[in-house]
Amino acid sequence: MLTKEQLHTLLDLGLKTGADFSEIFLEDTYRGTISVNNGDVISVSSGNTFGVGVRLLKGIDEVYGYSNDTSYASIEKLMKTLSGSFKGNANQAKPLGEKQPFTYTIKIPHHAMTPEQKSKTLIELSNIIKNHDDKIIQAGATLIEWEQKVLIANSNGIYQDDIRTYTRAALTAVAQDGQLMQDAYDAPGRAMGFELFDAIDFKALAKEVAESVMTYLYADNMEPQEMPVVIHNGFGGVIFHEAVGHPLETSAVSKGLSPFAGKLGQKVASELVTAYDNGDEADQWGRTNFDDEGKKTQKNLLIEKGILKGYLSDYRSGKRMNYESTGSARRQNYKYPPTSRMNTTYIENGTENYEDIIKDTKYGLFAKKLGGGTVNPATGEYNFAVMEGYMIEDGKLTKPVRGAMLIGHGAETIQLIDRVANNKSYGQGMCGAASGSIPTDVGQPTIRVSKMLVGGQGGNK
Amino acid sequence: MFKNWIELGLKKGFSDVEIYSTRSKSLSIEVYQGKVENLTTSDVEKAKIRAVYDEKLVSFVLEDLSNEAVNKAFDQLILNAKALTVKEPAIIFEGSPSYPEVKENDFNFDKVPVADKISYLVDLEKHILANEFVKQVDVASYSENYGETTIINSKGLNLSKKHNFAYAYAVGVFEKNGDIKTGYDIKLAKTFDDFDAKADAQMAIDDGLSKLDGKSIKTKQYETVFSAKKFGEMLSVFSGLFSGEAAYRKTTALKDKKGEQIAVKGFNLWDDPLNELAPFQNSFDDEGVASNPKKIIDDGVFTGFLHSLKTAKLFNEEPTGNAFGGGISPAGLYLAPGEKDFDALIQDIEEGFYVTDLVGLHAGVNHASGNFSLQAGGMLIKNGKLDHAVKMVVLSGNWFDLLMQIKGIANDLTFAVSGVGSPTVHVGKLTVSGEDK
Repeated sequence: MLTKEQLHTLLDLGLKTGADFSEIFLEDTYRGTISVNNGDVISVSSGNTFGVGVRLLKGIDEVYGYSNDTSYASIEKLMKTLSGSFKGNANQAKPLGEKQPFTYTIKIPHHAMTPEQKSKTLIELSNIIKNHDDKIIQAGATLIEWEQKVLIANSNGIYQDDIRTYTRAALTAVAQDGQLMQDAYDAPGRAMGFELFDAIDFKALAKEVAESVMTYLYADNMEPQEMPVVIHNGFGGVIFHEAVGHPLETSAVSKGLSPFAGKLGQKVASELVTAYDNGDEADQWGRTNFDDEGKKTQKNLLIEKGILKGYLSDYRSGKRMNYESTGSARRQNYKYPPTSRMNTTYIENGTENYEDIIKDTKYGLFAKKLGGGTVNPATGEYNFAVMEGYMIEDGKLTKPVRGAMLIGHGAETIQLIDRVANNKSYGQGMCGAASGSIPTDVGQPTIRVSKMLVGGQGGNK
Repeated sequence: MFKNWIELGLKKGFSDVEIYSTRSKSLSIEVYQGKVENLTTSDVEKAKIRAVYDEKLVSFVLEDLSNEAVNKAFDQLILNAKALTVKEPAIIFEGSPSYPEVKENDFNFDKVPVADKISYLVDLEKHILANEFVKQVDVASYSENYGETTIINSKGLNLSKKHNFAYAYAVGVFEKNGDIKTGYDIKLAKTFDDFDAKADAQMAIDDGLSKLDGKSIKTKQYETVFSAKKFGEMLSVFSGLFSGEAAYRKTTALKDKKGEQIAVKGFNLWDDPLNELAPFQNSFDDEGVASNPKKIIDDGVFTGFLHSLKTAKLFNEEPTGNAFGGGISPAGLYLAPGEKDFDALIQDIEEGFYVTDLVGLHAGVNHASGNFSLQAGGMLIKNGKLDHAVKMVVLSGNWFDLLMQIKGIANDLTFAVSGVGSPTVHVGKLTVSGEDK
C-alpha cells in the first residue's frame, strides 16, 4: 500500500515534462457469482480485479497506462513512460488534501455469509419458478455480487477513497411446449449487501417471471405497424437513457457529436418531460459516494419541462467545452480512463394515473417491459426489444404479443411524449460505453409516445 | 510461481489444480482532428485457478497475484465447492495425444515508431474527411495487442501459445440533406505494412455513402439477401445453439436434432480453428484440448454438438476443443461458399431487400425460439439489380425457418475481424417493417 507522500511524489513526477494534470487510480475489487438452476447449485465462482491506472493530461490530450503491478517502482516507471509523450515546462502537483468521510451503509457484507448460506435463498427462488408449471424446463436464480474499493489521488489535491458494494439477483425461466420455446427474466440489483433480499420481494418476482414466460410462450407475434406506444415505468426508462442520456454526456456534446450540442436553454422535449441524473440516490444500483475522479456525486437536472438545462460531465470532457464536472466521471475498472457517464437517470413523475393513459388509448401497444437495445449517439437512431407487450384496443389490454421491436430517433421521440404518469420506478442494467461496463439505473413513470414504428414478424402480408 | 500455487492447492486438499494464465500488453492510440487525443499502454498478468475439491470443479480469477491473495483464493474455493450441489464431471485434463501446429504471428509492432502509428491515423482521418459528405470523423483509433497464454496443471499438462496483432478503426459522420449517418471501417493487421490509410479510409467512406439518401420501404415480406458480413454476424449470434452445455441444459432447440435436416441441402457449416483464411488460428482450447476442424452442419444435416470436457463426458462423446472463457463456443465458424457470384445470386429477384446493416443483435434475438427482430438497413433490389438505399426498418423472422428456406449461397466467402466467415446468402422471404401500407 502506497503512502500519501509516495502518491504525491509520483503525481509530481508525472508533471515534470509539461503535463498539467496527473492522476492515480488504485482498485481492489472482489466478485462472486452463484448460479442455481432447477434447484441445483451449478456453479460458484469468484475473482478479483486488482491494479492501478495512471492518467496524465496536457490540456485535453490524454495518456493513460494500467497494470496489475501496483508497486511504487511499477507506477514510477509508468509515470516516466507516459510523461515522455509530452514536452514542456515542469508543473507541480498540489499537496494532497484530506479524504472526505462517507458512511458505509451495507448491513450484510458479502463475506458475512458463506456461499452455501446464500445459495439457500437462490434454491428457494429457483424452485418457485420451476414448480409454477410443468412446461418450465429451466428455472434459474443467479446471485452476482462485487465490492469495489478504490483510492483516487490527483495533482489537483484530490485524495479520496470509496467503497462500492453491489448485489444483484437474476431470475430466468425457459418454457417449452412442443416446438414453442420462450424465455423470460428479471434482474433487480442495488448498492447493497445480502439485505437486498429483504428490500425486494423476490418470491413475488419469481412468480411473475414464471407467469410471464407462460404468457409469452403462447403469444402471437407482433404485427408490424406505426402506432401509439405506452411505455411502462421502471426499465422502460432505457429508451430515455440510450436516446437522450448518452447524447447528454459531454464526451459526445463537446465534440458536437450529439443532437443536443449547443442547445442549452432550448426546448428539446415535450413540456411534460423533466429529467434528472442522480449519482447520489440512496441504495440505488447506479450510486457511488464519489465519482471515479474523486468528486462527490450529486443530483443533476437535465431537462426541465422540455427545456434542456444541463449535461453530464467529467473533468476532461468538461475542459474541452468549458463545462464544470458534474461528478459524473465513471469507469468500469482501472483498465479504463474515466469519462462522463450516467448513474441513476430518470424522467420525473407527472400527475396522471397510468391506468388512465391506457384507458384513453384507442389502439396501440403497451410495452410493459423492455429488453435490451442500442443507440447510435451520432445519428440518434435507436432500437429496443419489447420483452412483454400487450395490444391496447379501445382502452383495454387485450392480447399479449411477442417479438415487438421499437425503432426511432431519440430527439424526435422525446418530442412525441404526450402523457406522463405518476408511478416512477427504476430498473437496473449494465451500461456499456467507452469507459467500460458500469451499473446504472434507468427510470421513469409510465409514458405514452404518440407514434412509434413497431416491428415484428406477425401478420405476414 | 504457478508450480508453487499448484502445490499449495494440493496441500490444502484439492485433488487436482490447474492454472490458466494470460499476460497481455497493449498500446492504443486515438486521433481526433489531427491530434493524439488518447494514448493508452497496458501490461496485465492474470491467472485463473481451476481446482477440484470433493469431486467438484471450482474457479477463481486473480489479478492480485500476491501470496496472500492466492492463499485466500484457495480458502474461498473450498467454501465455493461446499456450496455446489450438482453432481457433474469435474475434469482437469492430462492433455491431447498431439497438438496441431499453428503459425504464430511474430511481427513486432513495438519496433515501429509510435510517430508512424500516429501519422497513419492522422492520414486515415484526413482521407475520410476529404469526402464531401463527411461532417467529421468521430474517432480514428489504432490498437496493438500481445498475449501469451499458459496452462499448467497437476496432471502434467504444460501448454502455451502467443498471439500478436494490431487493428485500426475509424468512424465517419456523414450528412446529406439533413440526414446523418455513420460509416466505419475496421482493419485487422498482422504486420504494420498491412495498413494503408487511403484504402482503409475508402472502406469507411463506402460504408457511409451506401447509407445516405436512404428511403424507407413499405411494410411487407421481401425476398431477403444478407451481405456476407451480416450473415456471418447472424451465424455468430445463433452459434450458442450448437453448445453441448445448452444441449445438456435443454435450452437449445437443436437438443434432439442430431442427425436431422436443419438447413437446406448444400448448407455446409464448418468450425475450423486451423483455417488459414481466417484471421486467427488456434491449436488448443482453454481446457488444453487440441483443436480440430469439424463440420457442424453437413449438407443441411446437424452432425452434433460442440463439447467441453464436462459435456463430452455427459454425452459420452469426445471433447471438441471448444471450451473458451468458461463456456462453449466455435473457434473458426464459417459457411462454405456456393457457386454463383453476387450478381447471379440476385439477378432473379424482382423485388427484394439486401441487408448490409444490422443493429442490436444482442437485444432483438430470442435464442430459445429462434425469433429475431432487428433494426436493419441496406439496399432495395429491383429487377435483379441493387436500386436505392433503405434506411431504418425492422427485419423479422425465425432462424430455424430461415435455414430451411435458403435459396442461394454466393461464392464470396469473407472473414470478419471476429473470425467468422460467410458468403452472401439469399434467405428467401422475411418480414420488413417500414412505412405503413
